[in-house]
Amino acid sequence: MSRACRQAIHASLRERLLNKAIIQLNQVKTHFPYRKNWRGQPAEWLRAVDGVNLDIVAGECLGLVGESGCGKSTLGRSILCMAPVVSGSVLFHGKEIQGLNDAKLRPLRPKMQMVFQDPRASLNPKMTVLQILQEALFICPGFDHRRSLERSAELLDTVDLRPEHLFRYPHEFSGGQQQRICIARALATEPEFIVFDEATSALDVSVQAQVINLMADLQQRLNLTYLFISHDLSIMEQVCHRIAVMYAGRIMEVQRAQALFGSPRHPYTKVLRDALPVADPRQRRELATLPGEVPSLVHPPSGCRFHTRCVYATDVCRDAEPRMSVIDTGNWVRCHHHEHLQANDELKAQPLNRSTEIKETP
Amino acid sequence: MMKSNTSVSQPVLRVRNLKVDFPSSRGRVRILEGVNFSLYPGEILALVGETGCGKSVTAKSILNLLPRSGVHRHGEVFLDGCDLMKLSNAAMRPFRGRRIAMIFQNPQSSINPVFTLGEQIFRLIRMYLSDEIKAVQQRLNISGRAAVGQIAKERFEEVGLTDVERLLKSYAHQISGGMAQRYRIATALLSSPEVLIADEATSALDVTVQSHILKLLRSLCRRKGTSIVFITHDLGIAAQMCDRVAVMYSGRIVETAPTLSIFEAPRHPYTQGLLAAVPRLGSGKRLANIPGMIPDLANPPAGCRFHPRCPQVMACCKEEKPPQQDIDEQHQVACYLYGEHVPCLPTGHSRQPQGAIVE
Ligand SMILES: Nc1ncnc2c1ncn2[C@@H]1O[C@H](COP(=O)(O)OP(=O)(O)OP(=O)(O)O)[C@@H](O)[C@H]1O
Ligand SMILES: Nc1ncnc2c1ncn2[C@@H]1O[C@H](COP(=O)(O)OP(=O)(O)OP(=O)(O)O)[C@@H](O)[C@H]1O
Ligand code: SF4
Ligand code: SF4
Ligand SMILES: [Mg+2]
Ligand SMILES: [Mg+2]
Repeated sequence: MSRACRQAIHASLRERLLNKAIIQLNQVKTHFPYRKNWRGQPAEWLRAVDGVNLDIVAGECLGLVGESGCGKSTLGRSILCMAPVVSGSVLFHGKEIQGLNDAKLRPLRPKMQMVFQDPRASLNPKMTVLQILQEALFICPGFDHRRSLERSAELLDTVDLRPEHLFRYPHEFSGGQQQRICIARALATEPEFIVFDEATSALDVSVQAQVINLMADLQQRLNLTYLFISHDLSIMEQVCHRIAVMYAGRIMEVQRAQALFGSPRHPYTKVLRDALPVADPRQRRELATLPGEVPSLVHPPSGCRFHTRCVYATDVCRDAEPRMSVIDTGNWVRCHHHEHLQANDELKAQPLNRSTEIKETP
Repeated sequence: MMKSNTSVSQPVLRVRNLKVDFPSSRGRVRILEGVNFSLYPGEILALVGETGCGKSVTAKSILNLLPRSGVHRHGEVFLDGCDLMKLSNAAMRPFRGRRIAMIFQNPQSSINPVFTLGEQIFRLIRMYLSDEIKAVQQRLNISGRAAVGQIAKERFEEVGLTDVERLLKSYAHQISGGMAQRYRIATALLSSPEVLIADEATSALDVTVQSHILKLLRSLCRRKGTSIVFITHDLGIAAQMCDRVAVMYSGRIVETAPTLSIFEAPRHPYTQGLLAAVPRLGSGKRLANIPGMIPDLANPPAGCRFHPRCPQVMACCKEEKPPQQDIDEQHQVACYLYGEHVPCLPTGHSRQPQGAIVE
């Protein structure tokens, strides 16, 4: 997507944010039962998503990045009503979809799709590609068996596969080809909103570039809205309009994609940037890792959830949960010291009893 | 750290002219058409290439893990002078997992879904680490069972997995993609293998966990002399931690060179295209890609399989497979643009690119 076009989208994004988002999450909590008491009822919960507020605007690509196991996939599933949301609300076009029964959800299903991380696991090995696509087409209103062959071939063409691939089984394809079949299947129902859960992490760079460019074109042509979950920061910077950074079940920062890694506001975002392997052997550097332990989602840390591993942490971080500080429309950060950090990027925060240091990019 | 003495020491793993045919609805498909590479002690070799070019098939055929029915393998795979291709499936068993370990692509689907992670890793620990179990038992004065649990805990923590108690009781579908991948890494390292084949081992991990794992593997190479084939599509990883890079295209390795040469002086037109497609932070451009489609393996292009997409294609490219040429001792490339000898050309033909743009 060209820069000018992205900026244009950006201008209109502000406006639309003020109006209405296609998806609005309000204090969404998705918990899994963790330990049962003697009655067999859950006594403790694993808080995979724990109070997420997020607006996704029609026509945007919102990135979601975060540590492994912090709840990104679960958040994606929660939006599509595929995970046990325990409280909070999920609005789709302003209407509550959380807690709807199957019959009420059915007309909404084709409008929201998900492409998963592991294509092998999400394609039925006993079905040919044609059957897989037909199955997806079947839930659309006005399904026509005769036309479905033609439509399936069309779909494969959109993802750069050949019509003869229709009659093959998933195991006959490589990982990247399988992922494209998944994308074709997601497009089958002409959705409005698609969650890409690490959909490009199995692809090599040139095919990834094709798929990403394809996604961007489809987005503009069909006015699609994406939630793009990924670990690949450089890809995200290219395709996303805004990026949300998640840590231990909470969103820590939402920022414009171009600004996020250039001037990260949250200390965790900074670590992410510095851990990125740069494709240049002359710039070999110590890749940043996080000190300490991955926080437990059953007993999350008090106050700011990042305090156990943050080099800028102070007493207040341990005691109080930081509020959302709005930077401008649609962009915000959750950190007690963000202004301080922003004013002085190199700053070594007040007395810290930790020896680790976040390395700066050379 | 670059290896400079790779040409001196003997390779641990040597793959020569590996060919693999698969049956398909449209006749036999030649997936690999002569893969050659060597892996030296303590080095990390990156294997990169387009999706579907046969990286995973190469890895699986080294361990003879391809489906049984109708698959033909030819060529030689030497591990320490022993040709693995000649071994029966039973004779392979002591090699598989023990001397050559593999981390599979698609972490979640490669974990057995009907057993908990604990049941699986305990079995492996009993199989590979009987000495360590005894040592731990004596050191901590605990039962064998507890010792196994203790080792599992240590190994999980080594790959950055916490909340071990819960994970041991979980099934594959109850853990996240990144956890599954780290679990696979932990189990692959149990046997202290000589050769580790890591197929997209960090693609489901976030960057901080990824750098943790990369450091772990790097230190493993230094400490124990383990050699790693790192199959990846992330050229960033190749640049940051691999000693050499092998670039694969449609069933063949088209270029092999030390990391620095690949990035600074790529020779093969496909490698050049691949590097141009690397996304970089802050560039803000539309991603470049290599035009054209991945070749259909049932009906591959004649001659150089890259010729329909190659911007520098010449007449001779369409006729015969280009042989491997030495640019220097450590840099090999299979392309007619290099080397003296062009067998399919009448003498006197200048190697002028046909039509296409060369910058
Ligand atoms: N069905 C389930 N039952 C119990 N726990 C679950 C289930 N699904 C996910 N979890 C737990 O929820 C947490 C978040 O998982 P999730 O898959 O959302 O992580 P993620 O952020 O997508 O990680 P990754 O980047 O590794 O894919 C993990 O601790 C996981 O073990
Ligand atoms: N069991 C099988 N039966 C038939 N064809 C197969 C089988 N397994 C793989 N193939 C084919 O072999 C080719 C190479 O597959 P392979 O999985 O090795 O690709 P890859 O290089 O690992 O790609 P990726 O980066 O996407 O994982 C593909 O074209 C695929 O369609
Ligand atoms: S609130 Fe405190 S602990 Fe949390 S990120 Fe900011 S400085 Fe670090
Ligand atoms: S052999 Fe010919 S077609 Fe193949 S890469 Fe070299 S120049 Fe291009
Ligand atoms: Mg996930
Ligand atoms: Mg593969």
